[in-house]
Amino acid sequence: MKSKSILFVAAALCLCVAASAWSTDIKVVANQSVGASAVSADELKAVFLMTKTSLADGSHVEPVLEKAGTTHDRFLKECLGKTESALETYYRSLVFTGKASMPKMVASDADVVEYVAKTKGAIGYIGAGTSAAGVKTLEVK
Amino acid sequence: MKTRTIILGAVLSALPGLLHAQFDFKLDGLPVQIHSFASQGFAYSNDNNFLTMKTSSGSFAMTDAGANISSQITDKFRVGAQFYIRNVGAIGNWEPQLDWASGDYRFKDWFGIRAGKVKTALGLYNDTQDMEFLQTWALMPQSTYPVDLRGNTIAHVGGDIYGNISMKKAGSLAYTVYGGQRPSDMQGGITFGLLGAGIRLDSYGGTAMGADLRWNAPLKGLMAGASYIDLNVSEKGTRLSNNLPYTVDTNKDHTPVFYAEYSIGNLRLDGEYRREIQVVDKTGLGKTGTGVGTTGLDERSGFLSAAYRVSKWLELGTYHSRFYPNWPLIHSVPANHLFDQAVTARFDLTSYLDLKVEGHFLDGAVGTNYYHGFYSIGNPQGLQSMTNMLVIRMGFHM
Repeated sequence: MKSKSILFVAAALCLCVAASAWSTDIKVVANQSVGASAVSADELKAVFLMTKTSLADGSHVEPVLEKAGTTHDRFLKECLGKTESALETYYRSLVFTGKASMPKMVASDADVVEYVAKTKGAIGYIGAGTSAAGVKTLEVK
Repeated sequence: MKTRTIILGAVLSALPGLLHAQFDFKLDGLPVQIHSFASQGFAYSNDNNFLTMKTSSGSFAMTDAGANISSQITDKFRVGAQFYIRNVGAIGNWEPQLDWASGDYRFKDWFGIRAGKVKTALGLYNDTQDMEFLQTWALMPQSTYPVDLRGNTIAHVGGDIYGNISMKKAGSLAYTVYGGQRPSDMQGGITFGLLGAGIRLDSYGGTAMGADLRWNAPLKGLMAGASYIDLNVSEKGTRLSNNLPYTVDTNKDHTPVFYAEYSIGNLRLDGEYRREIQVVDKTGLGKTGTGVGTTGLDERSGFLSAAYRVSKWLELGTYHSRFYPNWPLIHSVPANHLFDQAVTARFDLTSYLDLKVEGHFLDGAVGTNYYHGFYSIGNPQGLQSMTNMLVIRMGFHM
């Protein structure tokens, strides 16, 4: 029984570690108005699930998402732990119960960079190889 | 009635064309969003008529729609409102309702206030039970989210205090504490059920106070929570046979709720358990309508469900739902239980259009007094103990 308990705890810990692992294929970018230079994975998840509207330094943030694509799929899986349809349902449940507005969604990495650059507090994700000119890149801790 | 049907039909016909785009614009520099939804259902059952529809003949009397407008005024303050209309058999009667209308000020992520008419946080799906596009199911588990009693706990006119608290490695907690006046739903199952007993409902309402606490565990996809609601209900009616008053006043009406949800990949599992303990004082009882008395109920309900998204356009699911109107009674008697095994296929035809085909295998037939689907007024031949039912529902949203 004791060894089973140890195995269970070990498995749970592995899952927790897996939950906080961060992909090097994704860059998190923010508008220059955002004071922070780094975010934790948990903080990032809370921002995109709209339970958090400011970072640890007090900067107000608003998420911008891509509508589809490889970067988007990877971000959903690794950061939010939700499928595309589950995330859509989640956002709609907030919108239709009066708890939040639908977040901004754009078509591509380039569109994310363009929107983030011109929108105060905007925070988004792009592929690691995409130029982040005009926006700041946040380190994910 | 006919005019309303024509107007709603026209709106529903126009919707698909409008639904391609989310209305997202600026008004005087403020961002404004408009969203809407509508659904049309069909239900066909053997023998028993369910939910006040003539389901034994096949019924299309299952329509609802809603639209909302909202604006983020500042980083911390937002306002919005939603209208809702429905007609399910004799329930709803196309009467437009203000579903919610609130101002919401979030001081900090861990502390915000919402005031106005606010959707009530209770269990997994109380606040979203009437938006079919958010659910796998064509009909939510009727043990826990009965269509007939939607108006009882769907919203309160008052306020919420809410927030999200990070617990670092232990996940996060989301809490809501609320209180207010329950809106009076005069087009719900209670009105219909009482009418079957020869009583006209004149007023119905009371207060609701409660809290909800949900824990997003560090294990990816796991959420568990508990809710509690304390209701104070007052019903006033008139016996149609002799014009004597009929009243119900709450002594006690407490409901604790426990629930959990786990998602891994395309699989979602969830479940909920409720126990409502109610003691009420009644007048207007008996054949002459002059009796008085105190009655108590220990109502228990719950469901377990599983849903698997096979592809972007197909989701399959099943749930088992159980309702015991008064736990101390002998459960095996059909009038003392209602079980439902449902199987569903949800087709997401486009990003804004879904179609659900659902089979229900109902065991039991709780009577008129419990407002859970079966009414004597719609089943003059008497209730059979088993009911099979097909539900097809199509919905739009944007």
